[in-house]
Amino acid sequence: MGATFIVTLREAFEAALVLGIIYSYLEKVGARDGVRYLTRGGLLGLLASVAMGIGVSYLSGPLLDIGPDLITLVVIFAAVGLLTWHAWWMQQHARLIKGQVQHRIDEARASNRLWVVGLIAFTSVFREGAETVLFLWGIVSEEGAGWGSLVGGIAGIVGAAALGWAVFRGGQRLSLQRFFSVTTVFIMLLAAGLLSRGIGRLQGMGFLPFSEPVWNTSWLLSDGSVAGGFLSGLVGYRAQPTLPEVFAYVAYVVVVGLILFARRAPAAVGLASPSRS
Amino acid sequence: MKGYVAVMALLAMAVGFVGAAAAADVEVPLVLEKNRWQPDVIKVKAGAPFVLVITNKDKGPEELDMLSPRIEKVIPAGKTVRLKMPALKPGKYPFVGEYHSETAKATIVAE
Repeated sequence: MGATFIVTLREAFEAALVLGIIYSYLEKVGARDGVRYLTRGGLLGLLASVAMGIGVSYLSGPLLDIGPDLITLVVIFAAVGLLTWHAWWMQQHARLIKGQVQHRIDEARASNRLWVVGLIAFTSVFREGAETVLFLWGIVSEEGAGWGSLVGGIAGIVGAAALGWAVFRGGQRLSLQRFFSVTTVFIMLLAAGLLSRGIGRLQGMGFLPFSEPVWNTSWLLSDGSVAGGFLSGLVGYRAQPTLPEVFAYVAYVVVVGLILFARRAPAAVGLASPSRS
Repeated sequence: MKGYVAVMALLAMAVGFVGAAAAADVEVPLVLEKNRWQPDVIKVKAGAPFVLVITNKDKGPEELDMLSPRIEKVIPAGKTVRLKMPALKPGKYPFVGEYHSETAKATIVAE
């Protein structure tokens, strides 16, 4: 029971964190319409996960050999793009809000882009969702089915949701300034980890040349351990990364970090000029 | 958008990939039964790509999870999946079935 609890908790908590952050973000900027998009996106992600979990077992031949992996890749890279966009959006808002009354956010401007929020919710849930569905299904279909295991698995998802809720509540307490900087950094690292994971997948699938790991920190923290698993979900930790994976991660953090944060200094001045907002 | 470009590139590559997979690589059978891999030591020739032909005889799905090279491959219950593997340097490449990592452990030995 404990083992399955950990597995589903790990699978679901990344999505829960992202959702928790975006819920509190929308709450903070007063873009309440966005909540609806977010919830719908998450629910659609859930439906798609179940559909894919079931669908996979009806596939066969080359479609089964490569289909699910391609979908996963698409979702991973789409999530990188969406999260990057969201981090940028948050930074823009953080700048607007600076020194202003919170509620004077340009809501119309925000709502034009709310469907992106829905897409983020969708990719976050769907990315690990199908796997979690398959995992739970595996537990149920086992002979002498361990109901304890199933309960553990479901408790893991509930636990992850509770964590997401905690993030939401915690996010509401943080000052706006702090909330934006913390979550922007977090989302940036999450996206960097995803990008490097996508690159690793491309290597594993033979789309990029395979290379040996550049180091191995399994002795310190293995990918399979609980802490390693969580760190992997949070900041893209890998005990045995390949050079392209490391490169993708570092390049992403440097480039996106510069775009997101280097413009902060002039922005304080820029508030005076409407053209910048 | 970055994601979109990547997607299109991938789809283009996938078409070539599926075609290429049909070419004659050495096939190496692997069976999952009662949450264990059989055989649990798989010897392959180093330096040559091969295809793992994985059959899941169990009632639940399983995910083959290997750290290096990075492979995560779901094998639905009762199905056979062909997994194209890159050429490996001589060495040991352990992997697990993620859903039953206590029992489903095996190693590919390239020599």
